[in-house]
Amino acid sequence: MSAALAGSADFTHKAARREARIISIAIWLTLIVGFGLTALIYAPVTWLGILSVSGDPLSGLPGSFTLHWYASLLTDTRWLDPLIVSIEIAATVSVLCMISATLVGRALPRMKRGRGVIMTAFLLPLVVPGIVVGIDVFIYYRMFFGIKMGVWSIVLVHFVWAFPFALIGMLVVSSRFDARLLEAAADLGASPWRRFWDIERPLLSSGVATAGMFGFLLSLTELPRSIFVAARTQTLPLFTWAETMSRGSHVSLIYCLNSLIAVVSVALSVLSVWLLGRRLKS
Amino acid sequence: MSAVELIDLPIPAARRAVPALDAVGIVHRYGGVTALDHVALTVDEGEFLTILGPSGSGKTTLLRVIGGFETPTEAETLAIAGVDVRGLPPNHREVATVFQHYALFPHMTVGQNVEYGLKVRGIMPAGRRKRAEEALGLVRLSDKYGRRIDQLSGGEKQRVAFARALVTEPRILLLDEPMGALDEKLRREMQVEVRALQRELKATFIQVTHSQEEALTMSDRVVVMNRGRIEQLGTPADIFGRPATRFVAAFMGMTNIIDGVAGIPGPGLVLLDAVGHTLHGVWSGNGQPVAGQPAFAAIHPHRVALNPPRDVGWTCLDGIARASAYKGAYTEVTVETGIGGVTASIAGPAPAEGSPVTVGWHGSECAIGPAEEARA
Repeated sequence: MSAALAGSADFTHKAARREARIISIAIWLTLIVGFGLTALIYAPVTWLGILSVSGDPLSGLPGSFTLHWYASLLTDTRWLDPLIVSIEIAATVSVLCMISATLVGRALPRMKRGRGVIMTAFLLPLVVPGIVVGIDVFIYYRMFFGIKMGVWSIVLVHFVWAFPFALIGMLVVSSRFDARLLEAAADLGASPWRRFWDIERPLLSSGVATAGMFGFLLSLTELPRSIFVAARTQTLPLFTWAETMSRGSHVSLIYCLNSLIAVVSVALSVLSVWLLGRRLKS
Repeated sequence: MSAVELIDLPIPAARRAVPALDAVGIVHRYGGVTALDHVALTVDEGEFLTILGPSGSGKTTLLRVIGGFETPTEAETLAIAGVDVRGLPPNHREVATVFQHYALFPHMTVGQNVEYGLKVRGIMPAGRRKRAEEALGLVRLSDKYGRRIDQLSGGEKQRVAFARALVTEPRILLLDEPMGALDEKLRREMQVEVRALQRELKATFIQVTHSQEEALTMSDRVVVMNRGRIEQLGTPADIFGRPATRFVAAFMGMTNIIDGVAGIPGPGLVLLDAVGHTLHGVWSGNGQPVAGQPAFAAIHPHRVALNPPRDVGWTCLDGIARASAYKGAYTEVTVETGIGGVTASIAGPAPAEGSPVTVGWHGSECAIGPAEEARA
């Protein structure tokens, strides 16, 4: 009797150990794949950063470290005007994203029917290639709506590009919003405006901020759509692209410029993810 | 305007004259479903009324109609403290709700939650704070003013929800299954506490629940609802011991329900003829019984006695003991009799299965009502 019991206990132990081992292998695999993918993304950026402080970036090898190229950014300021244009466009796209993502993001979770179809329709532009969108806008909008190519056509394609991301950022927050809180506020005497201002606005604010951040960052670094609709307007990505293509003597500046853009982008992304995470936790 | 001035008179008698809630002819339909079917209800100032029913009975819809969250399809009268509230949104009604899931604002502290109803009424911060602290004192949470909502336990959240609703001094406090999310022990404590609070404040409470225990222990009066209609309105003792309909009898746990025909009404007692047996009981249906009308007799298992005295007013049924089930505080035994199985909850040991047993009850313990309730 006792021997049988001991045997079964032993068996359970073995099974439990095997299961624990499989789980730990799965965790390690996930970590390796995850870190691997992350490294694929960050390694080139880091390499770029290292080259930007190297004596001869064009050789492709780091060495004789110097801040010379960064210093020359201060003397050769041709990048400044494109940067200002880019920031203006990005800020406009950011505001558009915040407003539209808030409107749509509030409404979608409350829809009883057709939510899936509408959500898919809104998110579909994520998978339409950028070049196609650029050409489409260039051909279609110019012909049928007479849109002049320039700043506003860039704003348009950037907004189309960034909106699905902004909406996702908003939906992460708004789909968790408990509409019963609004009933409770109404019950306590709050007018519709007060319900929005006191309850919805603070609880959705991190979603709004995320939407704006997505709009800003995606616009700031967007290239393929801009190429077709920019006309003579020059954004920072268009400028760096043109400089890279020109094989001119100022190519080294591009290393510095892109490193700076990468640092700013990552900082803003981390900030928005942190904001979002903090809200979800509470 | 005159109605408003009238209810503001500080004379208790004048206030008593206007009920806290007056509802007549409330109909509510969702698509093809009738959630409320000509419901009429009057609740007095200072009363604790419980709306009891199974899910889908329309009890929550009725509460939401009173709160203003649902606009009824039809309403002949819907007045709160004499004010016609038909067409008034929730924020213009002098009611406050304690929601089942509390619905506390997660981005505000306990104090800010409680003060919210005062803030939207334009009361200055100092006054708000004083009244919020009083309200928190009522629910014994004075020390939690600055806490975040996620730092509270379930029971504390519920108390905050009470304080938040009470602080605006609503004419009616609506309670939507307020104990639903609490564990058994806490629920019992809160039942007593909420009842004491209501008595202390002399406030009007309307509670919705599916728990008969909650309804019986807390209320002045109970409304039993079924399929959008009011089945019975009465004191807890009426509802429990004198069910007017078969549905109420079954819902209140009368597992012994016997069909038959009403006999000739005697002094106090009514007879029910069921397959050759005469059962003693008290008429508890609406109106007067008519000899020969189809009727039911219903009795709680714990009011059925083993070996009852063969005296006047007693119903005695001979039978054979069948299955018994140990329930801790009592034992449930089923006895096969001439009118079918009769369940008795008894304190002592159960009779052996197959042994001959007599079960019975005194007529005053048995409710007799009409087989089909004729509805207005």
